[in-house]
Amino acid sequence: MKRKITKKLAAAVCAAAMIMSMSAFSVSAAEDSIVIAVDADVDTLHPSDFSTTVEMDVLNQIYDTLMYMNPDGEHEPEPRIAESYEISEDGMTYTFHLRDDITFHDGTPLTAADVKFSLEMYQQSPYQGSQVTGLSSVETPDDYTVICHLENAYSPFLLGVCSVHIASQAYYEASPDEFASTPIGSGPYKYVGRNNGSNLTLEAYEDYYRGAPSIKNVTFEIIPDASTKAIALQTGEVNFAEIESASMIQLQANPDITIAEVPTSGFTYISMNLEQEPFNDVRVRQAINYAINRENLVAICYDGEAEVNSNICSKDRFGYSDEQFQYTYDPEKAKELLAEAGITTPYNLGKLLVAEKYSNIATVVQNDLRAVGLEVEIEVEEFNAYLNNLTSGNYGITALNMTLEGDTQMLEMAFMTEYIGTANNARYSDEEMDALFTSAAAETDSEKRAEIYNEIFTKAQEEAIYAVLCNPLILYAYNTDLSCPEFALEGFYYIYDFQWQS
Amino acid sequence: MAKYTIKRLLYMIPVLFGVAFLVFTILSLTPGDPGTIILGITAKPEDIAALNAEFGYDQPFLIRFFNYIGDIIFHFDLGTSYQSRQPVIEDIIARFPNTLKLTIFSMSLSAILGISLGILSAVRQYSKLDHICVVTALIFASIPGFWLGLMLLLIFALKLRVLPSYGAGTLRHFILPTLTVSMTSAAGLLRLTRSAMLETVRQEYIRTAKAKGASEKRVIWKHALRNALLPVITTLGTSFGASLGGAIIAETVFAMPGMGTLITTAIRQKDIPVVMGSTLFLATLFSLIILIVDLLYAFIDPRIKAKYQSGGKSRG
Repeated sequence: MKRKITKKLAAAVCAAAMIMSMSAFSVSAAEDSIVIAVDADVDTLHPSDFSTTVEMDVLNQIYDTLMYMNPDGEHEPEPRIAESYEISEDGMTYTFHLRDDITFHDGTPLTAADVKFSLEMYQQSPYQGSQVTGLSSVETPDDYTVICHLENAYSPFLLGVCSVHIASQAYYEASPDEFASTPIGSGPYKYVGRNNGSNLTLEAYEDYYRGAPSIKNVTFEIIPDASTKAIALQTGEVNFAEIESASMIQLQANPDITIAEVPTSGFTYISMNLEQEPFNDVRVRQAINYAINRENLVAICYDGEAEVNSNICSKDRFGYSDEQFQYTYDPEKAKELLAEAGITTPYNLGKLLVAEKYSNIATVVQNDLRAVGLEVEIEVEEFNAYLNNLTSGNYGITALNMTLEGDTQMLEMAFMTEYIGTANNARYSDEEMDALFTSAAAETDSEKRAEIYNEIFTKAQEEAIYAVLCNPLILYAYNTDLSCPEFALEGFYYIYDFQWQS
Repeated sequence: MAKYTIKRLLYMIPVLFGVAFLVFTILSLTPGDPGTIILGITAKPEDIAALNAEFGYDQPFLIRFFNYIGDIIFHFDLGTSYQSRQPVIEDIIARFPNTLKLTIFSMSLSAILGISLGILSAVRQYSKLDHICVVTALIFASIPGFWLGLMLLLIFALKLRVLPSYGAGTLRHFILPTLTVSMTSAAGLLRLTRSAMLETVRQEYIRTAKAKGASEKRVIWKHALRNALLPVITTLGTSFGASLGGAIIAETVFAMPGMGTLITTAIRQKDIPVVMGSTLFLATLFSLIILIVDLLYAFIDPRIKAKYQSGGKSRG
């Protein structure tokens, strides 16, 4: 009997070996295809009612915008659907002149009515409505002219309106249900289909007005695990992916893979509740700013893949200037400031509240604070519970990362009184600051605007409203054979610009 | 027997109602609201409130619960996801086949490996083979699933390049996840089968069977195995049911869309309809499987069958 069982086992092992060796699994990227790995599935493909980065990355390929504008706010807009634009002198009227040769993926022409429809859809959207802040009404004198009237002069409008996806009004009216699930845009790629939870495919729109894309087939594969993604990149199953800093060393060693480090405006920071003692004392906040060794934090928590910066405005953003004060690591100065504030160390600051994913940052911060005599006790909370406490001001000190992308004006959310309860986590309220942000929004002259921002961030640094630590980098890993143009701030990518090198 | 089956099916109603109430309560007690989670903290409070109202999340807890139950009973509607605005049933239809396949493959493999090696180990107690089996089982039972999955990936996908590293498109995609899931449960089954067999072969009726001259083969297969198999089948049944809930680790490591990742993602996003819908779906399946396991006893053990037929309440 023993022999018989052994035989059966051997047979089973052989069978298994045969299945595996039937054909060695090999991947060679077809010249005209690309596989992109993303972290999560899309929940919707609605042009305006989306909320995640993955959804935006997919929609950016399907939908086109009026203009393309580099998010750093320093470059002139490039023509897309609109060939040219004018801004009236009072800054309250934006006129766009559209191309007349643009068609949607279903072949229907794109006209001013579609632009009006899309802008109004954004206006109604709780998801992306902030992109058209200030817009009061849209007028279409003819099929290829769109005039946007603003409530007040609002300079950030241009960058915002340049991110509006232009959708087809006729398609929306004909099939409102499919509108969000089977998008029809005028961008370089057509939507083909998706498998819930696993992938989504696009194909080139051959009649695209800037010329057919070089890469014809695009597949977004959903791979949530960072290690799996790194392996799939190395086997060639995936050609392009955003990776975590922990995968860097492994991928850098591979000559077939190129890594791009892209700056973002997202900031990792310590927020202190200014309504509570002792954080209402500017010297305590300055001391905390001096106490943190940011280089060390970046090395430990980001594997070095973040830019050290104590200013809430990132270095690539409009309005940043070296004149704005930078806090550097100076524990002695921190101790002096604490002594000045009348704090006898060791002093207990209470709980350092963090969401789970920032617990490593909390540990580094805790250590640095301890070195200057400030004790904190780390309390880790589940993200949703944490958000509740953060926005309702039910905390003393916390560490987190936030993204307020778009125009530099978006940073008003961190400082203006009206945002207490949402993104003004410090619960900072200052009439002068509110007025500065209001005047920056209305200023149409870009030099003057930059000056106002300079004033704002200088003030923010002096008062040490937040203790900003760094701007994490986005890391893209891709086949060395794939040529990608330089990625702009925030790392939005357009597959239309990618090309396989033969 | 039919009467017993119907009775058990009716019991499922209060059980499922209890499950629904419990899960709904727990979800409602956790902090956070779907509007804030979807729109983020930079959104206007009135937009968040409007979205919550659209989901009916502004209603009191009990009203939401009974509305939900009402929709299921009267409209056969499991609800619509807060996140995707698509019917929950579509998510389940898209994901469940992968989970079912993975469960069937891994449970079959672990049953074949676990039970056969367990018997072999018991029959040849203290032999070299027995030692190898026991030690290997101990190792696999202690290896964390994600580590085993990653090692398999590194070896078969990256070094040997014989298998794909992610996805669920073809049968080849299921090989590594199946191995990952089944190794741990096979190890458990092996140990269980072995100890059950060892206990059974010491029973008097086995000695009697041997004494009356039955061959070793007949003693093992006919007398010992049938008796030893009861606890094994119970374990197999419950772990089959449990693994229908999704092998979260294997699903995550191999990027395989299944029920496990569906539910965990939904919990994090406070997508109550998805969590409720999938939990109820799985609870129903689980109850049915347990019922089938109980009925299977009757075929394996005539003593239990006799009890069912005499209308006894005990399930043996």
